[in-house]
Amino acid sequence: MTTKQMKGFEDSYVVEGRMALPYTYFAGRVGSKFITTIRDQKKIMGVKCPTCNVVYLPPRQVCDKDFTDIRDKWVDVSNTGTVSNFTVVRYDDKHLPRKAPFVLALIKLDGADTPFMHILEECEIVEVKIGMKVEAVFAKETTNTILDIDHFKPAAERISVHEINATRKQWVPVDEPDTQGKRKGGKPDMSKPVIITAALSGAATMKNQISSVPYTPAEFAEEAYKCWKAGAAMVHVHAREDAGMATHEHARIKATYDAIKDKCPDIIICLTSAVGMGKTAEQRLSQIVAIKPEVASLNTNSMNFGIVDRKTGKVFIDYVFENTFTMVQDFGKAMEENGVKPEIECYDMGGLDNAMLIGRQGIFTDPMNFNFVWGVAGGQAFRAESFIAMMNALPAKANFTTCGVGTDQFPCIMQSCILGGHMRVGLEDNIKMPNGDLAKGSYEQVEVAVAIANNLGRPVATTDEARLIMGIKKR
Amino acid sequence: MAHKKNRNVGIIGIGQTKHSSHREDVNQPELIHEAVSLALKDANLTMKDIDCVVHGNMELFEMVHSPDLWHVLGTGAYGKDCIRITTGGTVGATLSCASDNLTASGMYDIVMAIGFEKLQEGHTTGGITNMADPLWFRKIQAGALTGSSAYDVEREFGLERANRASLTYRIIMDKHAGLNPNAHRAFGLDFNQIDDLIRTSPKLVGELKLIEMCSQSDGACCVIFACEKKAKEISKTPVWIRDHITVHKEETFSIFGYNREFPVMKTHKFAAEQLFKRNGIKDPLNYFDVFEMYDPASWWAIDWLRDFFDLKGDEHLKLIENKEIMIGGKLPINPSGGVIGSNPIGATALIRVAEAAMQVRGNAGPHQIPTPVNHALASGFGGTMWTVMTMLEKELNW
Repeated sequence: MTTKQMKGFEDSYVVEGRMALPYTYFAGRVGSKFITTIRDQKKIMGVKCPTCNVVYLPPRQVCDKDFTDIRDKWVDVSNTGTVSNFTVVRYDDKHLPRKAPFVLALIKLDGADTPFMHILEECEIVEVKIGMKVEAVFAKETTNTILDIDHFKPAAERISVHEINATRKQWVPVDEPDTQGKRKGGKPDMSKPVIITAALSGAATMKNQISSVPYTPAEFAEEAYKCWKAGAAMVHVHAREDAGMATHEHARIKATYDAIKDKCPDIIICLTSAVGMGKTAEQRLSQIVAIKPEVASLNTNSMNFGIVDRKTGKVFIDYVFENTFTMVQDFGKAMEENGVKPEIECYDMGGLDNAMLIGRQGIFTDPMNFNFVWGVAGGQAFRAESFIAMMNALPAKANFTTCGVGTDQFPCIMQSCILGGHMRVGLEDNIKMPNGDLAKGSYEQVEVAVAIANNLGRPVATTDEARLIMGIKKR
Repeated sequence: MAHKKNRNVGIIGIGQTKHSSHREDVNQPELIHEAVSLALKDANLTMKDIDCVVHGNMELFEMVHSPDLWHVLGTGAYGKDCIRITTGGTVGATLSCASDNLTASGMYDIVMAIGFEKLQEGHTTGGITNMADPLWFRKIQAGALTGSSAYDVEREFGLERANRASLTYRIIMDKHAGLNPNAHRAFGLDFNQIDDLIRTSPKLVGELKLIEMCSQSDGACCVIFACEKKAKEISKTPVWIRDHITVHKEETFSIFGYNREFPVMKTHKFAAEQLFKRNGIKDPLNYFDVFEMYDPASWWAIDWLRDFFDLKGDEHLKLIENKEIMIGGKLPINPSGGVIGSNPIGATALIRVAEAAMQVRGNAGPHQIPTPVNHALASGFGGTMWTVMTMLEKELNW
């Protein structure tokens, strides 16, 4: 302790001391889960008050407005948001997280109702504006603090598919007898919109692999809506029970179908006629006839359909997926009679030939819609030349789309888009993004498909355009 | 004459957390929320019914400024009148006095008092002593950590008897704390351990031993007060606040140079004399059925008994030695286990009022006194020398 004298007060001492103020801060269970979710899942979660519908971020245990206990009401919010206010820190101090000058911004994340404070970097201070879109950059090394979001940066400007589609002319079909000839000649019509399908669930993708795979009707509706928003015109659905098992129960499938239609009335729903392992032909078909979706899958050959370790070749699950000629014929007839457009699933060239052979009975109406499926253990792996061979074998007016299991997904859809075909993505086929990170949901893969279309200059089909192209009528 | 009231005020709801040194699972508002939820449940009310929230804790102990604002998530004070009070160790008792006054005045019908402390987060000594400079007349403050009472009792009654009285008191408190599910510390001590404890417990200041000292606890307490009309409507067993008194005296408290010519611990005596005189209570020892005393250490507790009840000679020691202060005795003191049992400081003095009120209601739980409790007394202590005393009654008949 020392003393000093101030000028003009020579008769008075000022005693100088120093305070040590160590302290500990307790985040509580709610605050801790907020941090660990950011740390482990790179996901930002808030809590939603069921009484006043406010989504709080950061989350809190109690809604301060109505005193509702909301500690269990977790909801996902987006990693992107809007700057609602900001300040420029212009002095350096030990407790500050960055060297001055830097920006502390109040950011309202998309999906949250309250703003929270974080560092805004990767842009000039003069460029920071209230209302600017920003996105979270997660820290490479965790500190178990809010700095597990390292900072926010300006979000890449992304104009939505729907905004683009609203400004362009709607595609109209032109009667072009030689579509197939042009394709074969390497001159596909790149002005034709590309239909993006999201296969939301499949029968085998489970929540323990990826939590965003939908089980309940409400989850399907939410996922379908996100995919539609991102640019998908169609969703492919294997309905599930609450516990995750694929179901053939009409009531559950209908509930799932209706929930999607309620949330997202425009989207085309393609129901599976495969359903899942061990289902009988009757179980597989009767639900299609009962619900009459606009589109349903039609599988074309009996084949191995198992689970095999891709590295060691070890067989985990051995299963024969039965699709006899009689079944293909009966399924195809029943679909066409009920106004359900078949999506003809070809796991190899033989399947395509099977469909063509049965098709001589005059079952299928034009245009026929094919889906080339790659990478099933039991079907063919993706090869560019196989793709071209299959495309060249199509009937004149046929459309084709494609999907690939696992790492086949993005290469095969890109090839399809180049060749004038359509694209299917989704967690049924692949749970990852091109960089190997888990996808946040099927919608994030739809965003990749949209980027592919944008880069190739192909418009993304609206739901109306998709119906025109595939020859289906809206229900 | 008791101080004038526009209308009577009753306690209609009580909530307490379990007091503990380890509450890593909650932040400050979440801890408070536990007590508030319990008190609302106890009173069968919701936050909508509360007109005013009175918030209190020790300043600086958790290193948070304006905690009443930050704690709204736990206090439920959003959109309500909210007042923060901090008077040191007595803050909990002052919360009770303020709530009584706010309700009695007619300003609010239902007032919620919340006392809280999360000592695990802060730095108590930082809050108390960092700005002390005894050589410049800013006298050092170590909170309740002083050996002067021990010295005093020891000199008057001899080391052996003084030590045994202090440890007897301490073990009675431990036995009481063992019955109270919310108590922080209950070691399961027994009277045959007195000699061992005298020998083995580390000495802190003079004869003040670690075992005789209160704990540092995390915890919160919430008490709901209502005007007579509302209290009778809402509660089957409102506990009436008869009177309260606050006395303080700052300037003579010093731990060095203790001098019998300048006795310092006299605010308790003065407060008790005034309170009992103006309420016409001639024999407080017989009048009261229970006393929840703010006892930061057993030495102070045994010494203060004499001040509170104006006892002569060694009467206060005999009360302890004969275990008359135990549950079942003549005047049970701290059936809750007292401050030695649990000490979340901002809540501690409010817990005294709450525990006394629970005894009057007769639903304190395992530590309920078996005989009827009609008149209860609670005290608060803090600062350099603050006293707050509160009288509670079962019936509105004084």
